[in-house]
Amino acid sequence: MSIISIASPDSSTMLASRSLARRVFDKAVASPGFRAGAAIFIVLALATALYPELSGIDPVKMDIKARLLPPLFEGAKWSWAHPLGTDQLGRDMLVRSLVGLRYSFLIGVASVIVMLFVGCTLGTIAGYFGGRIDAVIMRLTDAQLSIPMIILAIAVLGVSRPTIPAIVLVLGMSNWPVYARMMRSVVMTERQREFVRAAQIGGSTDLRIIVTLLLPLLLPSVLFTSVLDVARMMIFESTLGFLGLGVQPPTPTFGNIIADGRKYLLNAWWIATMPGLFLGLTLTSINLMGAALERARDTVHAGGE
Amino acid sequence: MFTLNFLIRRLAQGVVIIFLVSFLIFTLLRVVPGDPVRLMAGGMAPEALIEKIAKDMGLRDPIIVQFGRYMGSVVRGDLGQSFVRPANGASTGGSSFNDSTRGERAEVLTLILEALPMTLQLAAMTLAISLVFSAIIGIAGGLYPGRWPDKVAFYISSIFISLPNFWLGIVLALLFSVKLGWLPAIGYNGFAYTILPAIVLAVEMSPVLIRTLVGSVSSQMTEAYVSVGRVRGLGRTRIIANHVLRNASVPLFNLLGIQFSSLLGGVIIVEYIFDYPGLGLLTINAVLQRDFPLIQGIAIVTSAIFVLINIVVDLVATSIDPRLEY
Repeated sequence: MSIISIASPDSSTMLASRSLARRVFDKAVASPGFRAGAAIFIVLALATALYPELSGIDPVKMDIKARLLPPLFEGAKWSWAHPLGTDQLGRDMLVRSLVGLRYSFLIGVASVIVMLFVGCTLGTIAGYFGGRIDAVIMRLTDAQLSIPMIILAIAVLGVSRPTIPAIVLVLGMSNWPVYARMMRSVVMTERQREFVRAAQIGGSTDLRIIVTLLLPLLLPSVLFTSVLDVARMMIFESTLGFLGLGVQPPTPTFGNIIADGRKYLLNAWWIATMPGLFLGLTLTSINLMGAALERARDTVHAGGE
Repeated sequence: MFTLNFLIRRLAQGVVIIFLVSFLIFTLLRVVPGDPVRLMAGGMAPEALIEKIAKDMGLRDPIIVQFGRYMGSVVRGDLGQSFVRPANGASTGGSSFNDSTRGERAEVLTLILEALPMTLQLAAMTLAISLVFSAIIGIAGGLYPGRWPDKVAFYISSIFISLPNFWLGIVLALLFSVKLGWLPAIGYNGFAYTILPAIVLAVEMSPVLIRTLVGSVSSQMTEAYVSVGRVRGLGRTRIIANHVLRNASVPLFNLLGIQFSSLLGGVIIVEYIFDYPGLGLLTINAVLQRDFPLIQGIAIVTSAIFVLINIVVDLVATSIDPRLEY
């Protein structure tokens, strides 16, 4: 990535020649919040990608002799072999947390993709065609926004086996109304503009206008918002795991590690708290980047156009 | 007259939303696998008996017929009886199907009305904590955009939004209840039991409130009336307190209406962790026990509250800013 180059502050004429999305991105990257988030994220990503394989520790291998070892510098029995200690079955907490982070992140990203697809499709249809289709889709979003999705998620996953595709689908269906509303409102204003009319007069079909003119213009700003939703979905996923409705053990995920650790809270506090620290750190880094992007988008859109 | 017109229109819309919600929940519960009769009758009940009970209760009729019958009694104010909970509050278990000690089943409405005040108390406490906290951080951030209060607000909201509520609940319980012994954590035995769950929920709610406040206060400060106020000789405090905050609170009110359902989602988890006997705990147990009438009742009541809160929010917003249309 070569965009780290710092743009000189008075380069507004040069700025205008770049695309809006690019300007937002550059502005966000220049903010300290984004850089701090990105730095934490890269460190965590590298650790997650490499450490479980490099250390050669199996996250599900039990070792009863080394059970309930405390993390570094805590008590008498700590060791460098298990920097974050071990759980009630002698499994290494650091490797388990990192493997849990993999699942959590992949599920988070996948469910946001599902959500974007459903939300943007329905929102664009509602905003572009209007009328009765619009009314139906909007009432549907109203209804869904008034039920907490966690109820539906528990109801669905409580009975059908919680496999990864099922979890991704349930999470993806949870927040699409927000995107549908967002897309609808921008599509409604954009479709009144001259370039859309010109394309219509020129004989373009609706599909062609949507795909080639509207989506490239509107998607980037929606994508900036969706960064924050990755974090939200990761929390949702771990909540489900905590209730026993996420990816099933022995596969370690944040939710089921914390749920396990809750039983040993009084004599081994690190089992429940350490994975949460990792999750919190990851989410903070994603949220810092997402918030910086949103902020940059708002200032560029407010001042730029 | 305007207000009355608005109320009638919104209430009519609200009824449509509640109807849609109950239809969605009703269909979903019956499409998803898992037989509530099996849970009611116990694992050892013979298949024929299960079929008989299910037939008697009308659970084998087409979904539309069942829904029509259900809505018919809901309109008359009857939310039905719980599938599994007995009225006398005894254990819901009972492994044998002909257990004579099982009493009359509990009314859904009674169950909800017992749990609702507890959750409202929790919600009020949460709202108080999060509004005070976000007001301090958010208004300071909005008054000095780009300076340190703004940055503090940015980082605090980024960190708070990243703390999973179930984890925070465990950590705070460990810290304040087990290690320090300041606050009670599990169950409910007096007002003090509300504080920890409310703090957890407030941490979850405040980031959005802070961000909205920072945004709305800082944008109001650039409006012309602020400079005009200064020309008229008003003090800065007076301009901010009487004019800016008043206008800046409109988006906050709208947000509170929307936040309600996410607050309810948080309530479910937090009540589960702290074993707080409110609507959230009732919901999660109902869902896990496949207690269809109870889930539907809760869905109807919560969506009704959602609709009412949003109507009140819009009324308040228009009374603050008369330019807004109903």
